[in-house]
Amino acid sequence: MKMTPALLIIGALMVFWASTFIIVGIPSMTMKETPSEIWRPLTAEEEAGHRLYVANGCSYCHSLFIRNSDWDIGAERIAQSGDYVGVEPAILGSERTGPDLSQEGGEHPDDWHLSHFKNPRYTSPVSLMPSWEFLGEKDIRQLTAYVQALGGKAADRRVERQKRWKAAAVAAYNSGPDRNVEWIHSQVPEVWRRMPNPYPATQAVLQRGKRIYQDFCINCHGPIGDGKGPAAKDVFPPPLNFTILRRHLVENRYIGGIFYYQIMNGITGTGMPYFKKHLESEKIWDLANYLGVYFVGYTDANIEPRGIDASYEEQWTNPYKPPALPPGASPPPSSPRPSP
Amino acid sequence: MIKFIQKPQGASLAFMLAGAAWFVVGALYGMVSAIHFVSPEFFSNIPALVFGRERPIHVNTMLYGFTGTMLIGAGLYYVPALLRTRLWSEPLAWAGFLFWNITIASGPLCFSFGYTQGREYSEYVFWADVSLVFAVLCLIVDVVMTIAHRREKQLYVSVWYLVAALLWTACNYPLGNVMWHPSTGAMPGLIDSLFLWFWGHNLPGLLITPLATGAAYFVIPRAARAPLNSHTLSLAGFWFLVALYTHIGGHHVLQSPIPNWLKTVSVVDSVAMIVPVSIVVLNLWLTARFFGGRVWSDPAARLVMGGIVWYIVTCVQGPLQSLPFMQRVTHFNNWTIGHAHIAMLGFGGYIALGTMWHVIPLVTGKSLYSEKLVSLQFGLITVGLTGFFVVLTIAGLIQGGAWHNGETVYRVLPELAPYFICRAALGIFILTGALVGLYNLAMTLWRGEELSAEELQRAEEAA
Repeated sequence: MKMTPALLIIGALMVFWASTFIIVGIPSMTMKETPSEIWRPLTAEEEAGHRLYVANGCSYCHSLFIRNSDWDIGAERIAQSGDYVGVEPAILGSERTGPDLSQEGGEHPDDWHLSHFKNPRYTSPVSLMPSWEFLGEKDIRQLTAYVQALGGKAADRRVERQKRWKAAAVAAYNSGPDRNVEWIHSQVPEVWRRMPNPYPATQAVLQRGKRIYQDFCINCHGPIGDGKGPAAKDVFPPPLNFTILRRHLVENRYIGGIFYYQIMNGITGTGMPYFKKHLESEKIWDLANYLGVYFVGYTDANIEPRGIDASYEEQWTNPYKPPALPPGASPPPSSPRPSP
Repeated sequence: MIKFIQKPQGASLAFMLAGAAWFVVGALYGMVSAIHFVSPEFFSNIPALVFGRERPIHVNTMLYGFTGTMLIGAGLYYVPALLRTRLWSEPLAWAGFLFWNITIASGPLCFSFGYTQGREYSEYVFWADVSLVFAVLCLIVDVVMTIAHRREKQLYVSVWYLVAALLWTACNYPLGNVMWHPSTGAMPGLIDSLFLWFWGHNLPGLLITPLATGAAYFVIPRAARAPLNSHTLSLAGFWFLVALYTHIGGHHVLQSPIPNWLKTVSVVDSVAMIVPVSIVVLNLWLTARFFGGRVWSDPAARLVMGGIVWYIVTCVQGPLQSLPFMQRVTHFNNWTIGHAHIAMLGFGGYIALGTMWHVIPLVTGKSLYSEKLVSLQFGLITVGLTGFFVVLTIAGLIQGGAWHNGETVYRVLPELAPYFICRAALGIFILTGALVGLYNLAMTLWRGEELSAEELQRAEEAA
């Protein structure tokens, strides 16, 4: 075959357009935009937020679709084509330096987002996201509105729940620090409230707990656990001061289960997110031991009730004494442990 | 002024010089981005240097600005040379130069302030899209008219690739950029991802690949002083490229809810890409067979050959990572970033640089200021890029493996720190390589020794 100018130009264009017809032409004729069950149109403010999302290149680190192999935030719902109806452009994204955002709406309350946009490390200490404070209040509000709409009607239900619990959490906070703790503890199911930490609080455990605290908690609850991290000025109710928990142990001895439950599920409505997607069981118990030992001065690790120690665990006796009882209080009931 | 834009090969030189300058700009933006992965609060709260804005500047300046510009410049030299004529119109090529560079300059000028269409590889705003299409149209007219006025009957394979690259881009770019929606440059809904990745993959595939392949077909036989291995293989490589490449954009959104038949087409054709790529690579390698010493001892040709090696690495890796089984681990993470770098800097960039150094003496009539600096550039970029590839691939495997095992994106970030630090450090090599190249080019223009007519004749007829 000899390449002539006519063959080159006409041939190259014909093969190109034939190929293109298959990959762009046929889909254009056959793909239909049918809204999915969670789809809803964006409001004007959310639209403005979407434009900011596009203009500032959020899509270079965040994707907007959940795959069937995902585990992370939003993984409860695999993306469907009807989720993107009318969105222009619906940038699906090609990299995840941050989490997928397609179901982000209602994962956090608005004030968490405000703090996070100002400086992502306030709420998420190891985040690599840039600070967006320079955008100003209005833009951050619009971005927040957009992010809270991601997930459509499902996001609306989550946002609704955030608002409902926020009202309760604010009321509890306003009733004073001790009433606040009582309210928080009362939200923990009964079985968890008397569950001691099953992991001995060894040096290794505390070391691991510290690392988790620094990666996840430190910028809200502060380096000394007093709830005065840099995010504290943005979120309301402010982060909990752990040091007052000393007078709120259940039966003056249990705290591990409460820590575990609250770290696992978070306190919806407040800035406290759930960590059950980030941390598996042992990591949460390690963190609970760290919080107890360093900020409460007490951990209920390995106290009764307990079963058979795991085979790797050395003989470990809890050296931490429960706080002295106020005068007049009755001592907690004790259950003697049968000898093996 | 009129005299200036009519000077033979002036536009070709201008394109190559601009390419060398954009390489420095692109590398600088890459460097700052790499630093931001190590320390997100470095240059904190400077709007123009926020990651989401600097990344598209880096990517587009490297793709269009460095690789594309430099390869077009080389093409404007070798096309007339292979047709034994002059470029039909120098002023028209200068018009193309102007429009092309307006588009590229619009990257840093617009993205820094949030003026972008935001779709990956299609970020340029509408008027910049128009400017790019004008540039391509100017170049098409010029090159086609040059062919019409040729004095060599046969069209050499490099000419096909350059003409086709421009023709395809003139069709591809407006379509993928959805230019009939000027305000967003996007279709509504999920189908936009098909338009987006249609251009997103045709940019490397049907613009940079043919430009670079054409350039390699020009340099390798000349440097090896051997005739091209096979005309038939050239033909096969060319037609397979366009028949298959257009289809494979879907593999970028393979795990999204696009129709299944599209996924199948894109995966099958991605794998099939091994055919045209091996044909081209084998054809060039067989041409240089027995003359490896000649290629290696010529710093410019060494860069081109290096580019061909990166090409085969990229195009074995690419089809593999289009497989759904692989993508579960490699998608969404730094593995892909590593792949993009060996494709664009390794394949496109090496060949652009090598071809530029090869044709600069022919374009300017001056000998290179320093061949040692060309070798230094080769070394710096090779260390930088090889390291990049290794480091990013490892980081990607860590991310992909951990995610697949149920870890969250956030949880894995601290594990990536050592690799991000290495990436930034290796970026210094690439940035230095870009600077060395620009310096060498500037010094060649300023200080290069004039070649005698006899030497120039010998150089031109090397093949």
